Amino acid sequence: MYIRAASNISPQNTFGNQPFLSELVEYTGDKLSCIEPDYKALIDPKLIRRMSRIIKMGVACGMDCLQQAGIDLPDAIITGTAYGCLEDTNTFLSKMVQQNEEALAPTAFIQSTHNTISAQIALLLQCHSYNNTFVNGGASFENALLDAMMLLREGGARNILVGGIDEITINSHAILKRMGLYRRQSISPFELLNFPDKGTMAGEGAAFFLLSNQPSDNAWAKIDGVSGFYKPRNTAEIQQQISNFLSSQSISIDDIDLVLTGKNGDTKNDSVYQQMQHAVFIETPVIGYKHLCGEYPTSSAFALWLAANILKTGGVPAALEQAGTPVKKILIYNHYQNTHHSLILLSAC
Amino acid sequence: MDKLMADLKEQIIEQLNLQDVKPEEIGDDQPLFGDGLGLDSIDALELIVLLQQKYKVKLSNAEEGPKIFRSVRTIAEFIENSKIPNA
Repeated sequence: MYIRAASNISPQNTFGNQPFLSELVEYTGDKLSCIEPDYKALIDPKLIRRMSRIIKMGVACGMDCLQQAGIDLPDAIITGTAYGCLEDTNTFLSKMVQQNEEALAPTAFIQSTHNTISAQIALLLQCHSYNNTFVNGGASFENALLDAMMLLREGGARNILVGGIDEITINSHAILKRMGLYRRQSISPFELLNFPDKGTMAGEGAAFFLLSNQPSDNAWAKIDGVSGFYKPRNTAEIQQQISNFLSSQSISIDDIDLVLTGKNGDTKNDSVYQQMQHAVFIETPVIGYKHLCGEYPTSSAFALWLAANILKTGGVPAALEQAGTPVKKILIYNHYQNTHHSLILLSAC
Repeated sequence: MDKLMADLKEQIIEQLNLQDVKPEEIGDDQPLFGDGLGLDSIDALELIVLLQQKYKVKLSNAEEGPKIFRSVRTIAEFIENSKIPNA
């Protein structure tokens, strides 16, 4: 499965014609919010007025990805989102309470469903093909990828638009912070990984990929395999899952040039990666990516964009302090809340 | 009536999130749907909610909708005509 094009709206300068992470954006506080483009240049202003922030991010990113690939009409649109259109859901539910369940405005309700983004893209393109949204917590994006992979293998499609999207809202951030997911004190994201403590930083993003079963001259990278496992009982099981995945790809860990992990600065979260670093990734360079995008259930979409860009450009950007070694094969290993674990293997084209 | 129409224009812009439209750009008799302001069926639902919320006026006969929502003036007339006279 080849990545023909990729587009990414994130807390870093990643959207549009930007140099690849040449300068990282610094944050303070406990969340990393997306740097959003001028949507009027990308979406019909008549349609923008009904779109909440996450819909604009997703639609702009998906359309940009298609433009980059030179594809007018994909054979399928598949998205993954854990929280969906939270802001619209919040608006709708708040008005239900405020207005005593009477005379509710329809727009927020219509837009609050999880499949809104993929549906909006399809409506804009008049694309009547396969359209699916996966809402599986921390495995949402991975399941969208697996669906695309199966569709391409079965010959049901040649070009598929796949995306992962999640947003931070004031309410979701407050609730998740109360649950202990985020740091109590402000910290720079660049210090986050070096000073593990309880909690991490919230993040959000939209990343879309045009995936194809055919190689092309300008393909960014090739996705060799995707695998996921749920609630591993112990470290040994994680180790076994990684080993099985690499065996299924007929490679060993020595064939991997770089491992991209979902390290997020939370002591409990990162102990899983530390154990794997001592047991499996002993000699392989390992870097984290969540100091760039924050923690959210579909952050692996950001990781895929990062890995694909590293393979496209041939190396890790200097800002990530791992520059030098040519990179041809990358393993992304992420887990969300030690519940959903995923492995994505990519190779240079 | 003029005050009511001015208020309606502001509320229509806010309710329908017409970001680039200013109240003075909406004519009293300008058509709201079709070629005029370009509103659609979802906007019609939003306007029904607006009338119910702000003016406590209910549209009882859906067939009257196109006539009532033709322009800001027709909406204002509908609101005026629907007011319960003081006892």
